[in-house]
Amino acid sequence: MRFHYLLALLLTVTMPPHAHAAAQLHIGNTGEPQTLDPHRYNLRLEETLLNDLFMGLTTFSARGEIVPGAAQSWDTSDDGLTWQFYLRPDLAWSDGAPLTAHDFVYAYRRLQAPETAASLAYFMYMLKNAAAINRGEMPVTELGVSAVDDHTLVLTLERPYPYLLERLLYPTAYPVPKHVIERHGDAWVKPANWVSNGAYTLTEWQPQAHVEFRVNPHFVSEPAIDTVRYHAVATEQSAYNRYRSGELHAISAFPIGELDKVRAGTPDALRLSGLLSMMYLVFNTGHRPLDDVRVREALALAIDQRVLTDKVLRSGYTPAFSFTPTLLDAYEGVPQPHTMTPMPERLTKARALLQAAGINADNPLELTLRHVTGSEQKKVNLAITGMWRRIGVRTELHQSELRNHFGDLRQGDFEVAWAGWVGENNAEHYLGLLQSETGDVNYGRFSSAEYDALMAEAQRTADANARNALLQEAEAVAASLYPVVPLYSTAVRRLVHPDLQGWHDNPRDVHQVRYLSWPDPPQDP
Amino acid sequence: MTAYLGSRALYTLLTFFVVVTVVFALLRAAPGGPFDGERRLPPEIEANLQAAYGLDQPLTTQYLRYWGNLLTGDLGPSFKQKDFTVGELIAAGLPISLGLGLSALVLALMLGMGIGITAGLRPGSNLDQGLMAVTNLNLALPTIIAAPLMVLIFSVGLAWFPAGGSGSARHFVLPAVALALPYVAAIARLMRGSIASARLEPHVRTARAKGLSEARVVWRHMLPIAATPLISFLGPAAAGLLTGSVVVEQIFDLPGIGRYFVQGALNRDYTLVMGVVIVYAGAILTFNLLVDLAYGALDPRMRLRS
Repeated sequence: MRFHYLLALLLTVTMPPHAHAAAQLHIGNTGEPQTLDPHRYNLRLEETLLNDLFMGLTTFSARGEIVPGAAQSWDTSDDGLTWQFYLRPDLAWSDGAPLTAHDFVYAYRRLQAPETAASLAYFMYMLKNAAAINRGEMPVTELGVSAVDDHTLVLTLERPYPYLLERLLYPTAYPVPKHVIERHGDAWVKPANWVSNGAYTLTEWQPQAHVEFRVNPHFVSEPAIDTVRYHAVATEQSAYNRYRSGELHAISAFPIGELDKVRAGTPDALRLSGLLSMMYLVFNTGHRPLDDVRVREALALAIDQRVLTDKVLRSGYTPAFSFTPTLLDAYEGVPQPHTMTPMPERLTKARALLQAAGINADNPLELTLRHVTGSEQKKVNLAITGMWRRIGVRTELHQSELRNHFGDLRQGDFEVAWAGWVGENNAEHYLGLLQSETGDVNYGRFSSAEYDALMAEAQRTADANARNALLQEAEAVAASLYPVVPLYSTAVRRLVHPDLQGWHDNPRDVHQVRYLSWPDPPQDP
Repeated sequence: MTAYLGSRALYTLLTFFVVVTVVFALLRAAPGGPFDGERRLPPEIEANLQAAYGLDQPLTTQYLRYWGNLLTGDLGPSFKQKDFTVGELIAAGLPISLGLGLSALVLALMLGMGIGITAGLRPGSNLDQGLMAVTNLNLALPTIIAAPLMVLIFSVGLAWFPAGGSGSARHFVLPAVALALPYVAAIARLMRGSIASARLEPHVRTARAKGLSEARVVWRHMLPIAATPLISFLGPAAAGLLTGSVVVEQIFDLPGIGRYFVQGALNRDYTLVMGVVIVYAGAILTFNLLVDLAYGALDPRMRLRS
């Protein structure tokens, strides 16, 4: 007792009291946001927060579909270059100031202004002159955005971009409060100055601990949850501990080793849902002998995706046979040609291909396979070295930290590497990675004139069906040239309190708090 | 004494200068940069970011500018936590790390001295052997194993304390115990040894012979001489508790500066890592200086030598 008293004396001076109200929701986020300025953000965990704080022209439904947001309707010109958005008349900022089309003009210009130093400004490069403005070659006033009146916004594009409504879901397309930014400068993001147009506003930010949002009284609808705290959880293990001790109501991941236990113990809390993503191996096509398509095909033939997902990982991931994920709406991926061939036949063919490429016992193929640190990646890549051993290929593993890994990949400093892409709900966002004009995220520097021509034609095509058909043709070309080996699409494993209503699994894994409710809130642990 | 003080202070400042310079150089030499994120940056965007944070300047200019700002007390903006300055982040995290370190220190002293004195008064007894066995076990069990075990038992199992976070004093009980445990063992062993030899001192026997109560003998006549080695242990221990909190903060999701250190280093957040290093270096150097001064005050030979 004395010890408690002493601790309390030592600590309460510096610690705020722990307030728990019934309408509160405590969510474990994967880490600490680096900023809540929608134009300067970069991380998915920040998107989660910004989705609750702001609303763009379009927004997510509870099931992750694209629905009207600040805009109630829109028209597109026949050439697909001009988009006119009609805003809701009742829009307001959280301080009560009216929100108009001019706020969007200000926001889109701010995103591209070089001094904003927005790391994701290129998300909106489809706007006319955006890239040139960001390079400092043109004034921001030349950007393809204008307000016809307070409630009508016009976007003019560089080239047809049928996925615009989806791209507008990202925080880079959110409005920001001009009147507040002009008054407070960079300090506008402090809780004391905070103004936004989403369902919630920022009321508290304790670095590395939590951010707290309260409901925005000027929002267009009335959410059931009053206050939400997103806790920055350091590890999956501590997220799991804090969920089990009742401190958190929903967590974004728990240790993979606990999956069987969770399945057996609390199946109604488990949310295992496929994520729109592609994990793949990429070959450096500029590196001998990987410049030889026969070698790449042989290596692809030896990989058994089902073994990786069902035997090695066992975490609800989906094996991938095409470079575009199966979760995509309105697009069917083109699998690599060998997908239906049985394994023994594949291995025979792979050995023959290697032989033909001049690889044999005297001249063996030795590769370095690079991957990101982490037990999951280690297991997958170790399994792949085993699969390649069956066709006589010796593989050495080289692991590095996430940042260095992708940095080296962008510089082409690898032979074969594990890579991952969490993308949008359109095939182009994946297939674009293999275009030669894509530059450094085309890690393997794959270059095919035929593929590039089909992709360019698709990107000029405004009609969505015709565009998808061209994309499929392009994907078939790439599939036969083996620049990559698709491995699997990941899944998100969350734990969500079974009493929390309105939580719907969806392939984008977005869950806005305004759609959630507690019919019977749990008591403070 | 003034000369002694002056030389210690000068030595401390020199060490500080070297630490700042070496860490500055090491950070710039590490591969990757602060703006590598989940998504790639086109070259023009990278250039905009570099310019915004002055990273497009030559290294010497950056280094001199850093010292210029540091001398005015400005640790700069965090490169990664863009909405905070390093000063703001440290102001938020330091009380938590200090609170944790201080409670662990108090706990380690109370428990360690209690165990040490109890065991030291009866050396060789069953009680002594039992207590020393427990502390040995404690020393052998590293925090990264002990702390998760405590969470499993006291948070998930018994639900006595929260598993993580920092909202109330209750949140600090498990982390403080986890951090204190190895020091409890070290202090207990230290105290046991010095009490065991102090009880054989002639003046202690005299005190007993005078018929003083056992408590009075221990407090008035044994502790003062037995505590000297403890004081020399406390300097490094206090510094160790502060830096040792890096692991404990990570396990218990405590938002102290230890987590900034880990996150900052992984994110290549140059200014944040520099800021935390400066705080740690400042704390360690201050503790060492205080111990040196305490030696000087306790032992006249130290003064004479200088």
